[in-house]
Amino acid sequence: MTLGADAKRRRANGEGVATTPLRDHVGIVEDGMALSIRGALASAARSLGHETPADDRIAELRAALAAESVPEIDLSGARRRVAETSGEEEALRERVASLRGRVAALRDAGIDPESAREALRGATRRLSEVETERLAAEQALDAARRASRATRDRRERRLRREDRLANAERRARRTLADGIANEFERAVAIVPGAGTVGSRPSEFEGDAVTAALAVVRVAAVADPVVLDCRRFESTAAARACLDAPVVRL
Amino acid sequence: MLLVITYSQAARQTLRNVVRANESAVRRRLGRAALFRETELGAFLALRLREKHGGAVQIERTGPFNEFEDVPKAVYEAAVAYENRERPSTPYAKFAVGRPHPAPEELRDETL
Repeated sequence: MTLGADAKRRRANGEGVATTPLRDHVGIVEDGMALSIRGALASAARSLGHETPADDRIAELRAALAAESVPEIDLSGARRRVAETSGEEEALRERVASLRGRVAALRDAGIDPESAREALRGATRRLSEVETERLAAEQALDAARRASRATRDRRERRLRREDRLANAERRARRTLADGIANEFERAVAIVPGAGTVGSRPSEFEGDAVTAALAVVRVAAVADPVVLDCRRFESTAAARACLDAPVVRL
Repeated sequence: MLLVITYSQAARQTLRNVVRANESAVRRRLGRAALFRETELGAFLALRLREKHGGAVQIERTGPFNEFEDVPKAVYEAAVAYENRERPSTPYAKFAVGRPHPAPEELRDETL
């Protein structure tokens, strides 16, 4: 795989497919730091130019995900319309019922109900219109729901692809870390500080600073590492031990 | 109950967090979906999820299913009869022939 200049620089910084820049892990080595050993080792391996069989696949998945865009689904407008028309219909039904009552009451009282009757006619007409509007709104919502199903299918496929990518990236990081496990173990023995490596590099027991120093020693470090720990006698000693440019605080 | 289904990694993670933080409001978590209690709190949590993740969150309302109220007798009886058939290898379409059970085509698009 040939790399452009930009990619080469990132590679030299430990950044690559599935890995973050080395400085994110061990750019500053200070007491009390946290360290993801597998992540740090994976970045260190990248800085050394290591690759994994999964790299092409990961790049493919990333590109496919970036190229695809799933349209947004927003049915809130359709739902709001149904709620509005239903509410209006409900109110009109009550109005029609109460106007009917009024017409009957006026008649019984011997009063001419004509104006109430006219109001009733108007309300009944309006109710019929709103009923139609409500039905149309419900149909529109149904159609929108059906249409959103296909979009959801696409989102599901995308999610599965994202999960495959995350798994492949995890596998790649593990492969990269395992690939320099021996160098890491040797480096842990050499750098100042206590620490033991288990059967896998991530099974490290001891001070995170020790592990970080070991990672720096193993990696091909371009940018100076900031040391804020009391492990070395001098900057020169640190540089020699870690085989990296160093700035001590 | 409110059924909340997520369709993205981010939405799925938020759902996981919401479920963890609101045990009283969540009845069940099923991977990237969950059943919330049908309370204002349940609705509030579901709507917050949708507000945050848009179309990557689907919210549906479910209700108890009573096969004696919600389903025609013939459908219920067909299901029971078929599950108690003598020959396990018989597909339902064949099973229904010559019996008083609805054919699959009849069932397929008939709304409850």
